[in-house]
Amino acid sequence: MTTTGVGPLLRLAARRDRVMVAVWFVVLLAVCFASATSTGSLYPTTAERVKAAEAINASPGIVALYGPILDVRSEGELAMTKMTVLYAVLVAIMVLFVVRRHTRVEEEGGQSELLAGTAVTRAALLASGVAFGSLVSLALGVLAAAVDVAGGLPAGGSVAFGASWAGIGLVATGLTAVACQLSASARTCAAIAAVAMGALFVLRMVGDTTDASWLSWLTPFGWSTRLRAFGETRWWLLLPYAGTALVLVGVAVALNVRRDLGSGLLAARPGPATGSPRLSGVVALALRVHTPMLLGWTLGVGVLGVVFGAITPSFDAFDSAGIQDLLRRIGGEGALRDMLLGAVISVVSVIVTCFAVAVVGHSAGDEHDGRTEQVLATATSRARAFLATLTVGVLGATWLLLVSGVALAVGVGGDTRHSFGRLVGSALAQAPAMWVVAALAVLCFAWRSRWGLLGWGMVVLFATLGQIGELLGLPGWVLDLSPYSHAPRMPLEDFRPAPALVLTVIALGLLAVSWARYRSRDIG
Amino acid sequence: MADTHDPAISVRGLVKSFGSARALDGLDLEVQTGEVHGFLGPNGAGKSTTLRSLLGLLRTDAGSATVFGLDPWRDAVAIHRRLAYVPGDVALWPNLSGGETIDLLVRMRGGDPVASRRAELLERFDLDPTKKGRAYSKGNRQKVALVAAFAADSELLVLDEPTSGLDPLMEQVFNECVAEHTGRGATVLLSSHILSEVERLADRVTIIRAGRAVETGTLEEMRHLHRNRIRAVVAGVVPDLTAVPGVHDVTVEGREVSCTVDPEGLSAALDALTLAGVEALTSAPPTLEELFLDVYRSEPDAVRP
Repeated sequence: MTTTGVGPLLRLAARRDRVMVAVWFVVLLAVCFASATSTGSLYPTTAERVKAAEAINASPGIVALYGPILDVRSEGELAMTKMTVLYAVLVAIMVLFVVRRHTRVEEEGGQSELLAGTAVTRAALLASGVAFGSLVSLALGVLAAAVDVAGGLPAGGSVAFGASWAGIGLVATGLTAVACQLSASARTCAAIAAVAMGALFVLRMVGDTTDASWLSWLTPFGWSTRLRAFGETRWWLLLPYAGTALVLVGVAVALNVRRDLGSGLLAARPGPATGSPRLSGVVALALRVHTPMLLGWTLGVGVLGVVFGAITPSFDAFDSAGIQDLLRRIGGEGALRDMLLGAVISVVSVIVTCFAVAVVGHSAGDEHDGRTEQVLATATSRARAFLATLTVGVLGATWLLLVSGVALAVGVGGDTRHSFGRLVGSALAQAPAMWVVAALAVLCFAWRSRWGLLGWGMVVLFATLGQIGELLGLPGWVLDLSPYSHAPRMPLEDFRPAPALVLTVIALGLLAVSWARYRSRDIG
Repeated sequence: MADTHDPAISVRGLVKSFGSARALDGLDLEVQTGEVHGFLGPNGAGKSTTLRSLLGLLRTDAGSATVFGLDPWRDAVAIHRRLAYVPGDVALWPNLSGGETIDLLVRMRGGDPVASRRAELLERFDLDPTKKGRAYSKGNRQKVALVAAFAADSELLVLDEPTSGLDPLMEQVFNECVAEHTGRGATVLLSSHILSEVERLADRVTIIRAGRAVETGTLEEMRHLHRNRIRAVVAGVVPDLTAVPGVHDVTVEGREVSCTVDPEGLSAALDALTLAGVEALTSAPPTLEELFLDVYRSEPDAVRP
């Protein structure tokens, strides 16, 4: 296998991705730094840290999300609780996007063909994607370690923690490289990789919250906590990350030589020779194009809801005096459950916003590629085209909130003091905040189609504002900039109509401005 | 319904800027109902910008444009019901089959694909409608858009470099399709930089350069404006044609002489050649290629040798 051309391709990748990767890095590292630097002041004494760590370990809902804290006395482990597993998922997602972008997306778009015609071998196309993903992972690992040290955590542990992020990134690189060999569709490849990563996460979740703890040893997300970065570090656990990544890349290379450029290993199924009469307008078109994605999301959000609903309210280790004390302070066991359910719901509302933003991003892609031009050259008004994006994006995301609420209520079952309807309502109460963020994404796209991807920045900004803002003790008005901060923390709190109404009006106002701009601007 | 004597498309002094770049700089264009109008220019001359303005996709800065007597920006939907458009670079929906895309586009124009000529066209263009959008080559993507455009009986076909991905056989099918549509009275606006294509199909031609129409008329009219190329082999001494008014670009090689001649200098040039004893003579009207190069070569007031 010759890999002539990897050098220039790597430089091309770095040039194309410098903004996107930089944004990911800034966000991930900022959260890392905020967590590292704030934990010491939040929990100044070892006793308080132990209490907090035991509280986390006592709640399967939190362990399911963050993983256990294996050394309850360690400041570093407590500080990096969210980072070690949950934010490592974000690292994996970033790498998925990066690697797919330089392999399958380019193949689908035809750029690979252009490149393969130059002094670049086919193997180099895959090799450069893998190399770029690996370099990004390693760089992020090094920077994460540096940021932790800067935040006041011990150097050895910081390095081990950074290595765990790099390891997750490397495994994600291999996984994506394999997934991108399978289907000719970049979307399907992303779905395959995402499902595989989701499975690895769920494996760890089950391992960490049940007696089958050996399951956690089978998945990279499990290794990240078992590495004991800030305790007696098991450095040898870094080998499985590298080994898994190498095996996956080997598989990807082997698959790559067995297929044609532009095709996937899974044979493309032929489509219908004629279009259904129902596929007759731009709204139907948008529904048709996004239905597979919506079904996937519905399934994902549904499973997530049921699993978290089932895990969240259960407690086992109540023997610790610290936990009893904690529970008393926040208003009893029921209040803790409500708080955890509320936390899950608020995470879900951010995730669901991503669906709306993805739909808006697709509309921007349609416009860039020229599909919108073809649609608007038919008897389709701009109003309908605009409506199509809104309908699928915003209504689709609202539907997903409903699904998550129902799934959560089903998962919780009878184990709650709340009615089924109140739990579903708790999820739907997040809708106005989600609408505002989605409307901001629409506004960016309406203003200029090239800005269609800025919506992702909005989601990341508002989601991390809550995370970092509280840790860094930013002033209240900064935190209040995030629409999510105005959604009621149901079921703990009660629904307040006023903020919901204001948010809804803001969302409608943003959409009105978006439409005014979209109807009067150039297309393409 | 517009009167058949009204132009299908009328553009006056159209200006469109993208930032500081002036894509259209006072463009005039008139397409008569029922004609095939060739819209010629090199890449970047403003052809696509013109077509996209006529479709109401771009908001123009100055000047006026009407299609069927309607304003393309305000009355886009009403206009689009009566036309079919094939973009220069056809992008398809990756997960829709070609057949679905064709039917979708026909339906979105208000047509009925079942009653249309799609089946016949699929056969003539040799297109497999069951492939997914991402699997088509450039030529086949073009065919999908062409079948969708030719399937219904639109009053106006707006075609942006429609044959750029087609092989010669398919170009032939394309020419037949255009002829069939003009046969039933349709108007065609055909942008191209392929001169032979326009020469074969177009009744009238507008040549555009840097966002401005530099030449417009029938091919006949344009030829009158331009010179014939004459090649002759003479028996005796080659006469000095450079002295004859209206004769240009004279080259002499042995007994063979080649030159271009203005229509008014033709008689004098032939007289001079006859005197020298003509053994062989060819005279060719300028090809569109030459008209085209003429227009492009000329700085506004350049002096010819």
